[in-house]
Amino acid sequence: MSAATTEAGATRRAGACAAPPQLSADGAALEVVDLSVGYYQKDGSVLRVAANVDLKLFPGQVLGLAGESGCGKSTAALAAVGYRHPGGVILSGRSMLGETDLLKMAPSALRLLWGGQVAYISQNAASALNPAMTIKRHFDEVLKRHAGMHGSDAAVRELELLTAVQLPDPAGSLLRYPHQLSGGQQQRVALAIAFACRPAVLILDEPTTGLDVTTQTYITALLQTLIEETQVAVMYVSHDLALLSTVSNDVAVMYAGEMVERGPVQAMVKTPLHPYTNALLRAVPSARARQSIAGIAGEPPVSVCDDACSFAPRCPHVEDRCRSEHPEMVQIEPLRTSRCFRTVELREELRIVVDIDRTPSSAAARADQTQAAHLLEVDDVSCFYGSRRRRFAAVQDVSFSLSDAEVLGIVGLSGSGKSTLLRAIVGILDDYTGTISLRGESLAHSAVKRPRPVRRQVQIVFQDPASSLNPRHTVNQIIARAVHLFREDVSRDKTADTVAELLESVKLSRSFLSRYPSELSGGQQQRVAIARAFAARPSLLLCDEVTSALDVSVAATIIELLRDLTSKSGTAVLFVSHDLAVVRTLADRAIVMRDGKVCEAGSTEQLFCAPQHPYTIELLSSIPDIADVRAGRRLQPGDAPVC
Amino acid sequence: MSTSSQEASCAPAVSERRQSLWRGVLHTGEGRIGVSLGLLMFLVIVLGRFLAPDTAYDVATPGSGSSAAHWFGTDALGRDVLSRFLHGGTTVLLIPLVAVSLSLLIGGSLGLFAAYWGGWVDVMIAKLFDIVLTLPPLLIVLVIIGGLGASNTVLIITVALVYAPGLGRVVRGTAQQVIVQPYVLSAQARGERDLVIIFREVLPNVTGPALAEFGLRLTYGILFVATLSFLGLGVQPPAPDWGLMVAENRGLITVAPWGTMLPALGITLLAVALNLSADALSRVLAGDELSRLAVI
Repeated sequence: MSAATTEAGATRRAGACAAPPQLSADGAALEVVDLSVGYYQKDGSVLRVAANVDLKLFPGQVLGLAGESGCGKSTAALAAVGYRHPGGVILSGRSMLGETDLLKMAPSALRLLWGGQVAYISQNAASALNPAMTIKRHFDEVLKRHAGMHGSDAAVRELELLTAVQLPDPAGSLLRYPHQLSGGQQQRVALAIAFACRPAVLILDEPTTGLDVTTQTYITALLQTLIEETQVAVMYVSHDLALLSTVSNDVAVMYAGEMVERGPVQAMVKTPLHPYTNALLRAVPSARARQSIAGIAGEPPVSVCDDACSFAPRCPHVEDRCRSEHPEMVQIEPLRTSRCFRTVELREELRIVVDIDRTPSSAAARADQTQAAHLLEVDDVSCFYGSRRRRFAAVQDVSFSLSDAEVLGIVGLSGSGKSTLLRAIVGILDDYTGTISLRGESLAHSAVKRPRPVRRQVQIVFQDPASSLNPRHTVNQIIARAVHLFREDVSRDKTADTVAELLESVKLSRSFLSRYPSELSGGQQQRVAIARAFAARPSLLLCDEVTSALDVSVAATIIELLRDLTSKSGTAVLFVSHDLAVVRTLADRAIVMRDGKVCEAGSTEQLFCAPQHPYTIELLSSIPDIADVRAGRRLQPGDAPVC
Repeated sequence: MSTSSQEASCAPAVSERRQSLWRGVLHTGEGRIGVSLGLLMFLVIVLGRFLAPDTAYDVATPGSGSSAAHWFGTDALGRDVLSRFLHGGTTVLLIPLVAVSLSLLIGGSLGLFAAYWGGWVDVMIAKLFDIVLTLPPLLIVLVIIGGLGASNTVLIITVALVYAPGLGRVVRGTAQQVIVQPYVLSAQARGERDLVIIFREVLPNVTGPALAEFGLRLTYGILFVATLSFLGLGVQPPAPDWGLMVAENRGLITVAPWGTMLPALGITLLAVALNLSADALSRVLAGDELSRLAVI
């Protein structure tokens, strides 16, 4: 780099990347003070979405920014480096990068800084990279603009960077286009570009969401190495507390645009100070133990509250004062602050007590009696995609069975064929061999050919709640259709009552009947989809990654709901997920799939605590788990999981 | 969620009610201009005949300029230009409207079925669209009108044929994106019949883009029909038609310019009005799409 540095020196401009990182007096790389951000609304008023945000980033340290979607995490993180969303406005505050206030800088000066001293990595690398440009041109742009590097100097640096992010065949990758790389490789390229100019500050906005578990672990590990080497100060935005707790040094929890708790992560996961942090942590499932989880009911407000505690409407510890006064951040311990009137008196109550769920599942009890007749039997099934000439087997020779009221989890990464299997069972994928039988009777391949009483028994809920409901139908129309098709006992004039009852069973009020799916939140949409499935009174419910598109706190409420509904009705569940912790929480038995084949099957207890197959062990050891953080242990990929 | 007036500062999370397309269109600038201009032209076309000073065929001094008796002058045969203008808008609007509606019906259903059934049905229909699209529209018109003679019915069928593939392709493309959505899969899993899925699940999600395309094609259709009338292939004399009027009066453009200008202005305003409305509609639809993404 030395030759490049001297050459770059000649063309160096303000904010160019070769400048030594400036630090403030107490060693912070970025100091944000009293930042408030708003959005202009249609009527011209400003909606405050972040207020009084104070934070400091230190070199080589990671600050996690946690909270549900819509709590202003990303807005605050981006505003901290001077970026304003369209329609956004910075209402007050300073953000000091050394001696310069980023919030007072002109856009042109900021553009020199971004990509150089300040880097940002977004959630979706595929859309962050320009599909019309080779990887090399992405680098060239950054290196030329921020380091004044051209030609062979740039080429040397590019190879160096791609090698640093451990991309296979760095030289070859430079000439490729983004779509020729896998999701994980794209994110590694994005990392390399972010680190190209040795940034002083790095903002990560859910950088591993959407990646497979094992890739996620890999990227996280790589990130940690790079942070250590370059001593960059990092802000890591995520709603996933399990993940944040493994990567961050400190965590700041945001709610309704304000910071509600801040402190070192180790202490926070054990003894949260704020009721909201406690609620978030109780929603996080663990793969290490079958523990009870609890979601947070309701939704966060969309703007900052000035005259009350913003969490009051959802807080179990609320008292009168919370509804009429706005709490301030209070220092509780040297490094820990909380925005709650009752922090001190609630300390013991808020301590996280891991509540191991020891209730034997109803299925386990019944399994002994009805060993003979299985509800669902999948025998030697292989599923195919593609035309006759180019047929591709997505699932190969899978067999398993499921009893009444049993919950079977299918675990695997994307592309393992788990969703394909569900589609074959429900009858929307008819190109398969082998037999699928329900109560001993073999099912027709396509749903249309199955008699209605058979169709009624098997219902499916999909991953993305937004697209599994027709956007042009009201909630009433959506559920009434299923009632009309499958409930002969309900006469036409009783349909409305039945629909309302179903809505009630998923804890939605009648007022949702006339709404369109786009007017609902993700969690509410998923509830409607579940109500539609239960309209048929199924004996088997297929769940295809039903919690993956949701926030952790919302996912927990959906899991609670599913548990409640299925145990009441005795419905068996086939629960497909890449999230091992969720499967552990919900399932009685589980199957691990890889590349269309079953690796290992067994009771969840046995599978998660004493896995036999190396792939199961790899999966279990690579997911970040909150129980590990609490216990202060750190698993390397391949280590046997501890229960 | 707010329990007291004191919580006014923190707005509870309420997602916006979906606004109707119609109100959305009127909310945009081009929508307002387009719709009001369109309404004005519609009134001129429908009610104009009752305000016309003469009938479309009364004859006076030929080729005179503006005068108190004839505000916009007379044409080569001495017919009052204003009266002919006020009588002559019907064909300009009605023929393209019927024709493009017909192409939406034909092209749209073909596109819908092609997208839903896929396979060889899709290949055949897509190829059919491509074949028609490769033929120059004027050639199609010349052949058909040459064979069947010029009449309004033939004109409508011809124009419908010319625009059907374009509309069909838009519907097919949109429907292809819709049918892979989980809500369609979910309907298939319920065992719904194909036609139920097409009309209940797919069609409502295709109408928006199809409508925007319809508005755009209608604009083209108006210009196309006017062009055909100008060339003598469309509406036949002595009927008052704006396209035909431009053709009839262009010889007198120096003496009695209004004879060509007035109908030309009418065609332009109508086309502009429809184009702006169609633009507004597609913008609202795009915004609708965006807000749906934002919810996710």
